[in-house]
Amino acid sequence: MKMEDMPLSGPDNTRLEALVHDIYSELVDDACLGLCFEVHRAVKQGYFFLDETDQESMKEFEIVDQPGVDIFGQVYNQWKNKECECPNCKRLIAASRFAPHLEKCLGMGRNSSRIANRRLASNNNMSKSESDQEDNDDLNDNDWSYGAEKKAKKRKSDKSQNSPRRSKSIKHKNGDLGSGVSTEPYKYNYNTGISYETLGPDEVRSLLTTQCGVISEHTKKMCTRSPRCPQHSDEQRRAVRVFLLGPSAPSLPDPDAVVESESFDIPDGQTLMSRLQWEDSPDISPTDSASSKASTNHSDSKRPKKKKRTSLGLNSGVVVGGGGGGGSSSSSQSNISLSIKKKRPKLSAPSISSIYDDLN
Amino acid sequence: MSKESRMRATVNQKLAEMGERERLKELLRAKLTECGWKDQMKAHCKEVIKEKGLEHVTVEDLVVEITPKGRALVPDSVKKELLHRIRAFLAQHAT
Repeated sequence: MKMEDMPLSGPDNTRLEALVHDIYSELVDDACLGLCFEVHRAVKQGYFFLDETDQESMKEFEIVDQPGVDIFGQVYNQWKNKECECPNCKRLIAASRFAPHLEKCLGMGRNSSRIANRRLASNNNMSKSESDQEDNDDLNDNDWSYGAEKKAKKRKSDKSQNSPRRSKSIKHKNGDLGSGVSTEPYKYNYNTGISYETLGPDEVRSLLTTQCGVISEHTKKMCTRSPRCPQHSDEQRRAVRVFLLGPSAPSLPDPDAVVESESFDIPDGQTLMSRLQWEDSPDISPTDSASSKASTNHSDSKRPKKKKRTSLGLNSGVVVGGGGGGGSSSSSQSNISLSIKKKRPKLSAPSISSIYDDLN
Repeated sequence: MSKESRMRATVNQKLAEMGERERLKELLRAKLTECGWKDQMKAHCKEVIKEKGLEHVTVEDLVVEITPKGRALVPDSVKKELLHRIRAFLAQHAT
């Protein structure tokens, strides 16, 4: 092969370069020829000038090459600073924000329905906790209920004293004192609240010592808030106690017996009670012990059938003590549930408390 | 010189056999379209055709008009790249 005889020396190099250039020229000529054939065929077939129209249209769509303007001749940020009037709310909205605003304003589009649903849900939660302080399944009940109580107090001052709910509960109290529990067609709860129908007298008693207990007319449930909750008067509470426990019902827990610090614990007790009531399961889960601070002493379990007065006094005194020793025991909580659910045999009480002692 | 012409023939044969010629052709065509050379040439063609009349234009007319201009209008970058590739091919397969 003669190629081997061509090292990259001076004259040969130029020959090589010439060769390279020749090859290149050939390639370019090929490309030109290809183009010519293509164009010629297009001309002869009649589709070469198809993309051209009359002169006027051509001028109209000519490519524009000025600064500040796109190739169509439009100024691209022309509408940025303009404001439009919303046809719905009659406000002046910036043009770039107009579409999202309209979406929310008219209530159409994905996000607006989502936001509305969320708002409704939180409003429901708020109004629910205000009306009855019912327990929602959340574990953050302590903070939530306390906060809602504060809000409820504030809103209550806005509400009139003659609100329908108030008068309804008064009516109920006056009218139905005589009727027994069984005549009331109240179902057991569907999510929240305590229905007094299913509680035995002892449970009712213990509930009423720590809770307001006033039966709401429209949900037929006992109010689970503090015995000094602002939504119900002491008169109502007394009437409920008379209604539920008979004419010999004791007086409400004496405010003096209750230490101030307890006011914070009582919501815990209420939520605990309500949660226990709601769960209605024989298993007392450890979450009870974890989440709640209120407690009663062990001694409570031993005297579930004591007379109302003494047990009430015991409970109130115990709650005071419980306020002092906040984390004191899951077993005591289990005792509360034991006393509430009367069906549970008392023999099991000590065994269960021992289980929880182990947990602790 | 016959030596040289033989050498050229060999090179060309090698280019064709290895498919490198086709590859180079395609590469050149793509680059020319990309850089707008083809549209330029087409516009020039339109002028030529309008000049010569749509009915009577022949391939020869076009070739004569287009090729010199086409050669001149190839951008430098495209030219350099092609030359580089040809040289590389030669260096690789010449020995």
